[in-house]
Amino acid sequence: MSAINILYVEDDSRVAAEVQELASRAGDRVTWESSGAAGLLRAGKDDFDVIILDRTLPDIDGMTILKRLRESGVGTPVLMLSALGRTIDRAEGLDAGADDYLAKPFEAEELLARLRALHRRNAGREHSAVIIYGTFECHVKARTAFRDNKHLALSPKEFELFRYFMENAGEVVTREMLLRDVWKMGFDPQTNVVDVNIGRLRRKLEEGFATPALETIWGTGYRLLEGR
Amino acid sequence: MSDVPFNRSIYARLVLWAIAVSITVTLLLWAVTEATIERSGRAALSRAVDVDLAGLADIFASGGPTELQRRIADRLALASADGNAPHYMLAADDGRKLAGDVERWPALSPLLSQSGKVALANGQPVFARATQLGPGLRLLVAREYGHDSELLGQVRLAFLAAGAFLAATVGLAGMWLARRLAGRIDRINRAFREQDEPSLDALSDGRSARDEIGELTRHSAEALDRLKRLVVTHRETSDQIAHELRTPLMHLDTRLVRALKAAPDDAARTTLADARTEIRHIVALLESLLDIATSEARRGDRRGLSPVNLSLLAERIGDLYADSAEESGHRFVVAIEPGVTLDGEEMQLTRLITNLLDNAFKYVPAGCTVKLAVEHGPRLTVSDDGPGIAPDDRARIFDRFQRGARSPGEGQGAGLGLALAKAIAGRHGLGLSLAPTESGATFVLSPEGIT
Repeated sequence: MSAINILYVEDDSRVAAEVQELASRAGDRVTWESSGAAGLLRAGKDDFDVIILDRTLPDIDGMTILKRLRESGVGTPVLMLSALGRTIDRAEGLDAGADDYLAKPFEAEELLARLRALHRRNAGREHSAVIIYGTFECHVKARTAFRDNKHLALSPKEFELFRYFMENAGEVVTREMLLRDVWKMGFDPQTNVVDVNIGRLRRKLEEGFATPALETIWGTGYRLLEGR
Repeated sequence: MSDVPFNRSIYARLVLWAIAVSITVTLLLWAVTEATIERSGRAALSRAVDVDLAGLADIFASGGPTELQRRIADRLALASADGNAPHYMLAADDGRKLAGDVERWPALSPLLSQSGKVALANGQPVFARATQLGPGLRLLVAREYGHDSELLGQVRLAFLAAGAFLAATVGLAGMWLARRLAGRIDRINRAFREQDEPSLDALSDGRSARDEIGELTRHSAEALDRLKRLVVTHRETSDQIAHELRTPLMHLDTRLVRALKAAPDDAARTTLADARTEIRHIVALLESLLDIATSEARRGDRRGLSPVNLSLLAERIGDLYADSAEESGHRFVVAIEPGVTLDGEEMQLTRLITNLLDNAFKYVPAGCTVKLAVEHGPRLTVSDDGPGIAPDDRARIFDRFQRGARSPGEGQGAGLGLALAKAIAGRHGLGLSLAPTESGATFVLSPEGIT
């Protein structure tokens, strides 16, 4: 995955520094603007892969910036980062045109995973009929799964999950991404059911093998391993 | 425009009433006028007949029967065709005609000097009086009264025209007035319905009028103003609480992450990870409390709701829980009628349903059945055949921070899951209740007042 060019509009310098550090460790470039006006100006001038927008800014609030960006034809994916995490806040953010909404405090891995997912979604990756990653094989049309050439008996939903992990092989997949893309639910209702389902899939992927298949990223989600 | 249908509109009813009253009054006036005309016409006729009769009686007294016969012939010849034409009969006691133009003696007694309305032989209705002039001689004087009927017909026509004109005028004027009043009332209704800037501005334009509607407008504008301020204050306060708590928690969490990286051993790492988990719980708790507050503040407010396919939503959630139910050893039944929709907020409804399901799977032992059903109504039920809920806990199960024998599953055991579910139901104009069942627990989401 190539480095991501990020614009980050945030008034809290401490959070900004943390995010900048995080992203640069992952090899991404972050341009930081501390006010809404400056952020708007910058977004119009330069090209970015993803924009991170704080919702509560002292001059122009994030929702207004988002609206103006979309009105002026800037289609760059926007991740709204906010200290407001009520259901209604999330709904408003997404309704206003944000591509993703993350409430503070967040996991570093989760933010990076979401940024990558947004970037990927925008880049529109094509998938072949057979996806191979490490010891895993996913035959999309035949709906069959293998590990080390051994057939894995997955239920239809488990296959969907497996396929999603294969399509995002090596990337961190968040619970929200799974809910949205596998279960078609636009929102994380804070239930642990996703984890139970992953637990089941994990057991089927690891049964009879010595090495783990899935890595749990604390407070964020999961990553498919090569299984070697 | 107003949502009130025409037949329910107070203005339409007022106008119809005014028209009905004006028609009734016109009819009454017409009836009185006609009665008066008839009465005075009859009196005049009776007087004319009496005067004529007295004159002829005088002539008989002075000139005898021959003179009387001559005068009767004169009068008959002179009588004009357009007046109330007179008719006479001078007859012998046996009813044999001696003079005049009436052929048959009517049923009036000359001895009693009777008078009344009778019909002549040719069918002509007349007012007549009979008298006994002398032995063996009787006189009948009659007058036609058909011309009064003509007058009455004209009066009737005049009243009909006047009545129609009055009804039309009242109707038109009423409609014009009603439209003006309706416009002013509609402004108030719209302001309550929309609660947006243009409708509130329109409301303040109408508050200067000094009549009753002006007063109502003033009160409405003040109430809406207060409501708006409350909503804004509520929003600002909860935003501030969220912001001011989340930001330091975020900094605290970052410190913990740093400490975690530098932790010397597993014990220290576990403690730090536990501390991070605690922070997550605090945030989840805060979110749930603010969600409850927001849902309760917006109870009854239809704005922000859009059509949601409840069947589809429940199906997806059922799909999400199907495998995990099998994993936990529960039987999970999903019975969803297709095409059940309601106006709502999809995210909140998702939260409501998952809270109910989490609650069921958490407290129902393995081997039991949990059922999710959606029917038209809309009516959504989450039921189980588990041990049920103790009678003492039933009343308090929807309270906040209620962790009884069967505490809500969401909010990391903080006891907010069912309270939030109930608040979300209320925000949608729905009720969430625990149905009285003999075994297990059945949570019913349905329009308020229906279970």
